[in-house]
Order: sequence, then structure tokens, then C-alpha cells
Amino acid sequence: MARYFARTTGSLVADALEGFARAHGDLVAYHPEHGYLRARHSSPLRRVGVVSGGGSGHEPLHTGFVGAGMLDAACPGQIFASPHNRQIFEASRAVARREGVLHIVKNYTGDRINFGIAAERLAHERVPCARLLVDDDLASDDPAVAVGRRGTGGTVLLEKLLGAAADRGLGLEELTALGTRLAGRCRSLAVASAPPTSPTTGRPAFELPPGVLEYGVGIHGERAGRTLADEPLDALVDRMTTSLLAALPPPPDGGLIALVSGLGSVTRLELYAVLRELGRALDGRGLALRRSLVGEFVTALDTGGFCLTLLTTDEEATGLYDAPVSTPAWRW
Amino acid sequence: MAEDGVFTEAWVREFARSVAACESELTALDQLAGDGDFGVNLRSGLVAAVGVLDRGTADGRAAVPRRPRAAHEPLRVLATAFLDEVGGTSGPLFGLLFQELAAAARADGPRLTTHALAVGTGRGLAAIRRVGGAAPGDKTLLDALHPAVLALAACPAPTPPVRALDRASVTAWDGVRRTAGRSARRGRASYLGERAAGVPDPGAVGVALFLTTAVRPVTVLAPFLKAAGAPVSGRP
Repeated sequence: MARYFARTTGSLVADALEGFARAHGDLVAYHPEHGYLRARHSSPLRRVGVVSGGGSGHEPLHTGFVGAGMLDAACPGQIFASPHNRQIFEASRAVARREGVLHIVKNYTGDRINFGIAAERLAHERVPCARLLVDDDLASDDPAVAVGRRGTGGTVLLEKLLGAAADRGLGLEELTALGTRLAGRCRSLAVASAPPTSPTTGRPAFELPPGVLEYGVGIHGERAGRTLADEPLDALVDRMTTSLLAALPPPPDGGLIALVSGLGSVTRLELYAVLRELGRALDGRGLALRRSLVGEFVTALDTGGFCLTLLTTDEEATGLYDAPVSTPAWRW
Repeated sequence: MAEDGVFTEAWVREFARSVAACESELTALDQLAGDGDFGVNLRSGLVAAVGVLDRGTADGRAAVPRRPRAAHEPLRVLATAFLDEVGGTSGPLFGLLFQELAAAARADGPRLTTHALAVGTGRGLAAIRRVGGAAPGDKTLLDALHPAVLALAACPAPTPPVRALDRASVTAWDGVRRTAGRSARRGRASYLGERAAGVPDPGAVGVALFLTTAVRPVTVLAPFLKAAGAPVSGRP
């Protein structure tokens, strides 16, 4: 039986946050009474504070992206559970600028409700607040489902691009409009050959026989809509690329930004090999990979899989991507 | 007796007593139509609110000034307790209703008016719809709140708040009964499909209970007081 290295299952999130604050004390401050992390440094040009958050178990999302150039604050919930509205409310109040605060919210019911309640409370305090909903997951693109597509890997790209835009002094409305445009140009798809291990039971979240892939797996141990017989990596990545490109608007100058994120227990060795196949798949279609990022960004505990995110880019978006950033998990 | 802070504080305390008395019934309902934590969550919010009313705030200042107090103050305590202390989603959604009630009561001055009740519940309904995405008919707390809002809005301005709340609570319980006949599209019972058929929504029960506790002691007492020739106050 698999197990996690933890003092107790119930204290794992709080223990990790304390350790995180110790490791990155130069970049972030942890506020245990309200349960959020705040950036120590942030551009004075910002007119809007940028806040995100969501369940734990997806590290480095969101805590790893708090810092100059990205998030002003992150609100981590318990494992796979939404943060409490009070965390979001207090964090937003603490980092709001003259024009208020932007919430970057992954599209899950609990996150929507808790960020929504916090926004209602902020309105009573006269703090302007807008929400950018990230709903990039192609696997959950089913018009019959009222809640819509889930939010996944694209969240990191949007946090980076909107953080850079906030640093340029964009107002709340401009930032939200830009975010909505970018979110519409961003899609993700994840596959897994092994399920995550539940921290409470120590058992796999679902059974997956050898030689089979979950095509469109979620980040909370949700099974995919369908399984696929395992196939060579080039064929698999080509299949994923075809699905993603069909869902994206055509890039104006044929340019894309790619994020290859391990879901928890896939090696970098494999992830770079995935990027090689992605590059070849795009070359073959006459598309250019303008920027690419490989590593762990949005994980799902120890899920044995990876997520491909593509964003059709232009000069503006590429410029925002290249802007300076200094966070625990992303800096240049 | 005017419907000032004494009235609203008594309302909050009576709500807390009622929920404590029927917590196991609420939990049983929620086990049939949800995840079973609703009674506990509702009670924990009310214990927190009553604690603040009893003790004042942690920093030693009285959360509710002793006297004179305005009608919105105990409602504000109730709102903050539900927004800050209660886990899950339906508890904090109740907090939104209380927050709007407190804000509307504050805008109307020290005494609770029927107008403030209508405006506050109406805005609470709108806030819960914005945040939760549900609509009346989805088998959620809105199915009790929506008819109550309509009933309050239909009361002419001179209607005493207690009479208006009495009418609202009657329509809220009608709404609760209708939820039993529905299948859920949102919220806790939506995962259960037909298995929740026949079970009223616990959140709707919570709303009806809240409205009822404002008036129940008064309506029970009124005939006795009238018979004795005593004035019938608006105080529960």
C-alpha cells in the first residue's frame, strides 16, 4: 500500500504551508490566522491585486506562484477542497489596490461558490472585485454539463500573463477583459496511466489495468470520460495535439505557448520527451512553438500522468509571458 | 415594543434554541438528501453568534453595544458568524442572506421595518443566486426563500414586521413542502437523483425555521395576551 510522508494526514496541509513559508520566507509571508500566503514584493505600479486559490494537492499551484510578477496572494484549501470564503475575503482585503482585486478562479463548484461569497463580502466593504474563471479543460467540454469545463493547467499561464499585465498598471476592467480573451485561447488535456493515492485511505482513487490510459483525467482523481489502449508516445501526443488544436482559435501568426505539466509522479526525463513530440507535432502542422515550459505546475497528488496546455499567442501575450517574475516556483 | 435590537437579538437567540432542539432531525433530513453535515453547520454558526452576543468580541469591545442598540447589530453578528465560522457551502450562503438583512436593516435606522425585511431578503435571494447559480425550483434553500421574499414584498408598508414575517414563514413552509416533490438540479441533493424524492430540502427547512423563530413566540402568546387585555408587542 502506498503512503505519504506526513506527520498526520489531517495536518499535512498546515505542516506543508509552515515549511513552505520557511523555505521561501524571502518571497512570501504566511498568515496562519486567516490561512493565506502573501507576496513580500509586488510592483508599485499595480492598480489591482491578483488573488487565486483552490484545493491543496496541486503543488506548486497556487502557493508556488505567489510573488513579484504573479500572485499577490494565494488561498490554499484542504486537499482537493475549496478554500473557505474567509481566507479569500481576508487575503483580498489585504492585497487590494486602488482599483480593487482580481480573483483567478478554477471552474469548480466549490471554488466558484467560495470566491463568490468572498466577492459579495468585498462589495459590502466597497472593495471592487472581478473574477476571471479559468475553464481550459477540454475533457470536460460537454454542453450537457451545466457547470462547464473544469479549470486546470491553463491556470498557471493565466496567472503569469495577468500578473505581468497587472504590473503594467492595467485597471480592473481591462485586466478582466484581457483575462477573458486569453482564457478563450487556452485549452488543456491530461492523460494518466496511474491514479493518485488517497491520503486518507492510502488506496488508489480508481483501478486502472496495465496497458490502458485515462484520456482526459481530472486533477482530483476524477476518471476520464474514456480509456484508451496505450500507444507509442508520438501517436499519443499527436492525438492530444489534434484534440487541443481543434478546440483553439487558429493562431494569428501560427504561434503557440505550451505548458507540459507532470501530474505528480512522472519524471522530467519523460516530460521533456513529451515536449519533443509536441514540437514535432506542431512542426508537422506548420505551427510554431514560441515558448514552452516543462515541469510540474498543476499536479494531482501522485497521479501518474501529464497535462498538455496550449495557448495561442500573439506579440502582446508573448511579451507578458517574458516579463520578469520572482516566485518560489517560477522566476526569471 | 418596537422591533429594535432587542427584537432581533431575541430572534437570533430563538433561532439558535430551535436549531439546537432539532439538530438531530435536521441531520437526519440531510442524511437522506445530502451529506449529513447541515444540522451541525447550522448549529455551529448559531453557537458562534450567540457566543458573540453573550461575550462581546475577542478584543474586549462589546460586539453589540449594550443599550440602546439598533436592529441591524444582532443580524450583523449572525451574518459574520455564518460567513466566518461555518464550513461547507450552505452555511456561508445563509451568511449572505443575513448580511443583506443586516445591511437593509441598518439603512432603515434603529428599528426593523417591513420594508427592510423585504429589501434584505430580496437582496439575500439575489446574492445567493449569483453565487450558487441555483434558481427557485432546483430544490435548494431558495425554494423557501423565494416565496418568503414575495410575501414580504406584498405587505403594505404599514404592516408590522411581525405580521409580515408571519406571512413569510407560512409561504416558506409551503415552499419546503414543494421541495419534497422535486428532484434536485443543484446543491446537495443533486447527486442523489430520485433517491432524494419525497425528502424536503434541509436548507429550505433552515430558512423557514429562521423566519418562524422571529414570530413563533409572539403568535403563540398573542391569543392569551389579547384575552387578558394586554397589548400584543412585536417582541418574541
